[in-house]
Amino acid sequence: MDPQGIQIENVSVVFDSPTGRVTAVKDITQQVPHTSFVSIVGPSGCGKSTLLAVISGLQKASNGTVSVAGRPVTGPDPKIGVVFQEDSTLPWRTVEENVAFAMEMIGTAKDSRRQRAKEAIDLVGLGGFEKSYPSQLSGGMRQRVALARTLAVQPEVVLMDEPFAALDQQTRLFLGAEVRQIWARTHQTIVFVTHDISEAVLLSQQVWVMSYRPGTIIDVIDIDLPDERDASVVSTPRFNELHNRIWGSLQAESMRGFKQQEANEKVTT
Amino acid sequence: MGNLLLSVVSTVGLIVLFTAFCEIGVRAGWWRESVLPAPSTIFGTLATLLTKGQFWEDAARTGFEVAVAIVFGGLLGFAAGLVFWKAPLIGRIFEPYLVSFYAVPLVLFYPVMIVLVGINAMSVIILATIMAAIPMALNTAVGLNAMPPVYMKLARSLRASPRQALFAIAIPAAGPFIVAGLRLAVVYALIGAIAMEFTTAQAGLGYRIRYLYEIFDNNQMFAYIVMVLVLSGILTVLLAVVERMLLRGRNL
Repeated sequence: MDPQGIQIENVSVVFDSPTGRVTAVKDITQQVPHTSFVSIVGPSGCGKSTLLAVISGLQKASNGTVSVAGRPVTGPDPKIGVVFQEDSTLPWRTVEENVAFAMEMIGTAKDSRRQRAKEAIDLVGLGGFEKSYPSQLSGGMRQRVALARTLAVQPEVVLMDEPFAALDQQTRLFLGAEVRQIWARTHQTIVFVTHDISEAVLLSQQVWVMSYRPGTIIDVIDIDLPDERDASVVSTPRFNELHNRIWGSLQAESMRGFKQQEANEKVTT
Repeated sequence: MGNLLLSVVSTVGLIVLFTAFCEIGVRAGWWRESVLPAPSTIFGTLATLLTKGQFWEDAARTGFEVAVAIVFGGLLGFAAGLVFWKAPLIGRIFEPYLVSFYAVPLVLFYPVMIVLVGINAMSVIILATIMAAIPMALNTAVGLNAMPPVYMKLARSLRASPRQALFAIAIPAAGPFIVAGLRLAVVYALIGAIAMEFTTAQAGLGYRIRYLYEIFDNNQMFAYIVMVLVLSGILTVLLAVVERMLLRGRNL
């Protein structure tokens, strides 16, 4: 076993909800090797964000353990970087100040803060926007600020929870390709949650397909596309094969989830 | 910057136009001097007032009362707003009272104040402080509760201390609401102080205006009213400066 990556062992998460106990995540055992890029896809409500929250320490598992870089996760840790789905840039800070924010919170020395903020801003391609405020940037640029803020901390792993879900398809694929390039340069361990199959295939080395509630991993697909890839890979036959295989696994689950949600609505209304 | 120039020019221009209109109105006999004296007379009276010790005593007293009410009302209201946010139960218990207090003309409590602390600056300060604190508390609480939940998730994921979460995230995030609360606090402190002086006090600009009104000294009364307007103008400008400092970078 690779002690430096992420080990997920027998993780289950059970919620108490008004309609009874809901098992969001059930008995997941997986590992993310050090320096690899893994995406988790699944229908909405399958617990993929919950699983990510457990890895980040923001959510306690009802059962099982997660360890990152050999240490068990007992709570949030700045060494586990998270990029949220919602816009989390702080509107009263410039891009530069936003990127330095996480380092300020964990007490990085001022000199290295400036240096690392600059590097992270260049890495996400926001050079020249250091003094801009989030209100002057597009949604995609703001998510890049959030990514730079996370990278500047130099975390062991980066967890991304549908970071581009609010953006249009073109911007999403374009930013996805950029994340892929950033990963190619830094070899930062990344776990990326999405409901977009194309995005998952484009970005990752490995895709985990998750089932509708109770969420389990029903398929693990190694993405054997060339390492050097950009958004144009979307039109290759191999991309389509991988896409279709994931869609095949997902289709049945999405239908099941859809029917279950409909049934629940009938019960509650 | 063009906008700023335009607003300064138009504001000053309107004041000049209005003053000119009043001057012409009186001179042309559209209304009697006893209704609204000519601005030239008012400013003349004001100029002589400025040399009198009593005028400065009144102005200083009112200025002091308003300043104390703004500072303490602002701080108290801010602290109360923080408590309502941190302890939502307390917020839910007290908010209805605060909201209905908002609608109560607090000046009505002046007999209570006189019994408690006597006819002095203290009674004015206490009521003006309460009036300033209420909008500040409500606005602070609303601003903090309106903060996007992801900010606190971010704080948690970075293991920020409660102090960091408060000062580096929550308070700046609620900034626009807190500034709006401060704006109301300043207005309410001024209204509260002047109104209380009007009804109870033995000194201060409000008291002097009522006194001059009772002895039919129209010219001096209007001179004092102009002074109150100037005071509120000064407060507005100060507020705009503070607002600019606190809200740097937003609503560009």
